[in-house]
Amino acid sequence: MKRNSLSFRIISRVLLFCVILFLLTFTVYYIFARVTIEKSTRENAQLLAENAILKIEQVLKPLETIPDNLSWMMESGALPEDSIFAFLESMVRNNKSVYGSAIAFEPYMFNPSKQYFAPYACRTENETRSFQMGSAEYNYFIMDWYQIPAMIREPYWTEPYYDEGGGEALITTYSVPFYLDIKGKRTFAGIITVDVSLDWLTEIVNSVKIFDTGYAFLITKTGTFVTSPDRFRNRIMNETMFSIAKESGTPELREIGREMIHGKSGYRSINYDERGKLWVYYLQIPSTKWSIGVVFPDKEMFADLRQLNGFVLLVSMLGLVLLVFITIRIIRKLTEPLSQFAKTAQVIAKGNFNTELPVITSNDEMKELHDSFEFMQKELTNYVANLKETTSAKEKIESELRIAKEIQLGMIPHIFPPFPNLPEIDLFASLVSAREVGGDLYDFFLLNDDLLCFAIGDVSGKGIPSSLFMAVTRTLLRSVADHEKGAAETVATINKTLSMNNDSNMFVTFFLGILDTKTGKLSYCNAGHNPPILIRDGKEASFFSFSKSIPIGLFDTFDYTEDTVTIHAGDQLFLYTDGVTEAEDIDNKLYGNDQLLKVVSEHASAIPKKLIEEVNKDIAVHVNGHVQSDDLTMMSIIYHGRKH
Amino acid sequence: MRIADASIHNVLTSVVVSFIALQANAQLTKLSFAPQWFPQAQFAGYYVAKDQGFYKKAGLDITIVHPSSSISAFDYLYNGKVDVISTFLMDGLKQRAKNVPLVHVGQFSQHSALMIVSKKSGTVSTLKELNNKKLGIWGYGFDDVPRAFLRQNNYKVTLVPVHNTVNLFLMGGIDAMTVMYYNEYDQMVNYGINEDEMNTFFFSDYGFDIPEDGLYCLDKTYAAKKAAIARFVKATLEGWEYASKNKEYALNLVVKEMEKAHLPNNKAHQRWMLDKVIELIEPGSKNVEKGQLLEQDFHNALTILRNSSDAGNLNTRFSLEDFSKATK
Repeated sequence: MKRNSLSFRIISRVLLFCVILFLLTFTVYYIFARVTIEKSTRENAQLLAENAILKIEQVLKPLETIPDNLSWMMESGALPEDSIFAFLESMVRNNKSVYGSAIAFEPYMFNPSKQYFAPYACRTENETRSFQMGSAEYNYFIMDWYQIPAMIREPYWTEPYYDEGGGEALITTYSVPFYLDIKGKRTFAGIITVDVSLDWLTEIVNSVKIFDTGYAFLITKTGTFVTSPDRFRNRIMNETMFSIAKESGTPELREIGREMIHGKSGYRSINYDERGKLWVYYLQIPSTKWSIGVVFPDKEMFADLRQLNGFVLLVSMLGLVLLVFITIRIIRKLTEPLSQFAKTAQVIAKGNFNTELPVITSNDEMKELHDSFEFMQKELTNYVANLKETTSAKEKIESELRIAKEIQLGMIPHIFPPFPNLPEIDLFASLVSAREVGGDLYDFFLLNDDLLCFAIGDVSGKGIPSSLFMAVTRTLLRSVADHEKGAAETVATINKTLSMNNDSNMFVTFFLGILDTKTGKLSYCNAGHNPPILIRDGKEASFFSFSKSIPIGLFDTFDYTEDTVTIHAGDQLFLYTDGVTEAEDIDNKLYGNDQLLKVVSEHASAIPKKLIEEVNKDIAVHVNGHVQSDDLTMMSIIYHGRKH
Repeated sequence: MRIADASIHNVLTSVVVSFIALQANAQLTKLSFAPQWFPQAQFAGYYVAKDQGFYKKAGLDITIVHPSSSISAFDYLYNGKVDVISTFLMDGLKQRAKNVPLVHVGQFSQHSALMIVSKKSGTVSTLKELNNKKLGIWGYGFDDVPRAFLRQNNYKVTLVPVHNTVNLFLMGGIDAMTVMYYNEYDQMVNYGINEDEMNTFFFSDYGFDIPEDGLYCLDKTYAAKKAAIARFVKATLEGWEYASKNKEYALNLVVKEMEKAHLPNNKAHQRWMLDKVIELIEPGSKNVEKGQLLEQDFHNALTILRNSSDAGNLNTRFSLEDFSKATK
């Protein structure tokens, strides 16, 4: 995701939570399932073993009654000795489960001349036959089937053995001691047996299946395998639990074997071969005292669970993917207006306030956002309309001001040199107005052939009023001044006229000088204006000294005084307004009188135009681009004297 | 005449057959041999020597014939089916004492593996406690040493002859039993009795370290095939030597022989037997070479025979030299 977007952040958090929740649930489920499966498998194994034993006992139990009955018959004399062979034969014939049966007597018991007497009947391929099997060659007294029950005086199931007839049939013999009444004394007389083929038993045990490869096996009292699944076929009658335990180095197997031959039941696990952990449930067969074991690999017990786990994991993964997908969709859908709003905001920012807003049908935060946008659009439209109005009004005013300024500038003379026919004088003046129309003025004109009248002033305040006041002052000057009036009288007249109708209390600092070009006599009146600079003979510059007076337009009766000074050929007079000395740099530092005097002194020999240009340049350096706040007005007059 | 014709025909046929056989096995001397019991690791040395070609290398063509439950090795020897048999020293001596023209030609086992075993949970924890108890005992040459021992100690014991299983002992029908350390003792272990659950009494610890497996043949056979028999003993020792160094291989041979004879077998037991039998071949503290009979052992064994209940019927007046061709 390019953007570390809202949906990404929400999804990553939701997903993390979901995964944790899932893992937790899964673990609990898994543990519970394992425990349950273990329990039910154990019960199943036990049931299988019990069932197999039940089936085995159904065959063996009735067989056990045969020797018991025979024993009773012998003891009670119900079986006449001359019919033993025939009886055994018919008994074997009539009992499908019986492979053979014998009544083996103790030495000389049946007949004092016969050491061996053991009538035996057995099945052959398609008949039953009987014979006496004892002989010097077949000394049955030391055979297990005879010797063991004879010595322990208890019924005994022999270890299985292969049929001597060469058949593959495994046979076991159930032997029971019997007694005869000899001279009133119950005397041990021999052993009665039934031989049982174990084919059916193998079938029963081999039919036990559990999981994929789980099986059952049967061992005798010596731990010898009687049955085993096909792949362990070689174990049958060859191996015991203990020989396998030894050969495979599995002592636990020996422990299990011992429990089994000792008639115990149990449920144990072992690691025996490549099958990994194996579980064994074992239980004794009550009649023969043999033991049956049900074996299955641990991994098969949980195979279904593993499969289920795989399925659950798959479904969960799909679920999570779906969750992510749906969450993305929902969040996208929810936040889509946001990006639309963002785009709309950009369009609005470009000035298109009426752009269409995203359609919000829900009544939620989005709706609020939509309403806010709508409100903003309305407000912006109103504001801009107002602004347009204001701006156009302002533009109108500004254009009027510009015109006013042009008019104002047009009112002051700006043709230089002004008096080409008057060689005694060279004069230059400049007025650089500030952005707004200002109140500075300068003027010069000849009163007659010899007298030059010149003035410089600065109206208080700025703007149209000042400029109008300036225009009035200048008009008054032109109309009032004549060759008969002195400088002070002219100033007083102008003051009187201005003061009379000055409701707005505006005033003008004003300097008026009248120079007699014939004599060099300069009479002047300074009404609160900055002192001009006089440069003597193009060398020495100094501020004028004069009587102090107030600006004009304040008091109509104020008595202005006139001063006189004689200037000589080569002297130059430099006049200026406070726009020059109060020009500010960016730190509001003023240009100042000293700097002005210094610059003027440096260019004392320059002609007026050059001098004014130099001062302008120096001021420009001082303000260094800072906005000009006041009109910059300068005027310089050089007197050459009259040539005779 | 018809009979004569038939005889001549028979003679001719047998000559031709013999000739063909001789051609086939050019220089090899034929010898047949019967061990005293069914195939098992007790005879691994013979199987190995044959399989490894040690006999052939010694110029011998050896046939191994195992006895069956009805025909013993002695039967084979007497009816001429085999040239050489293996049997216990006591058995060989006894046959000789019965004036059988038997000669001892080799001695592999130098020690007695006979022992008495009782269950610790039972009533016999010392040999003295055998008095008035039932002791299972094997017949056929296994019983001489136990009987001599019991007589020497004057124990009154009920001897119960047992056939060929240990089940009577396992079922508690007898209090103790004489067994071979390399065989029945381990069988009991393989039937689930732990070694620490048994009391063991080795006859060798009580002055009866009588050697067991040795080789015997009839006098006339010895006279005719003396050199071949000597080579047979030597090659068999080589077989044992090889078996002791290649036990897994030897075991596989044993199992193969057992399977051929349809005998129950398991490797765990045969492995034990092989280990123990190989130990018996080592003279140990006895000053005798492998394959030879120590004079002292001969006299000890003869003494046992002379003191046996059967002594009256036996002629025990023969010397070591008369009896054995495998002694210094």
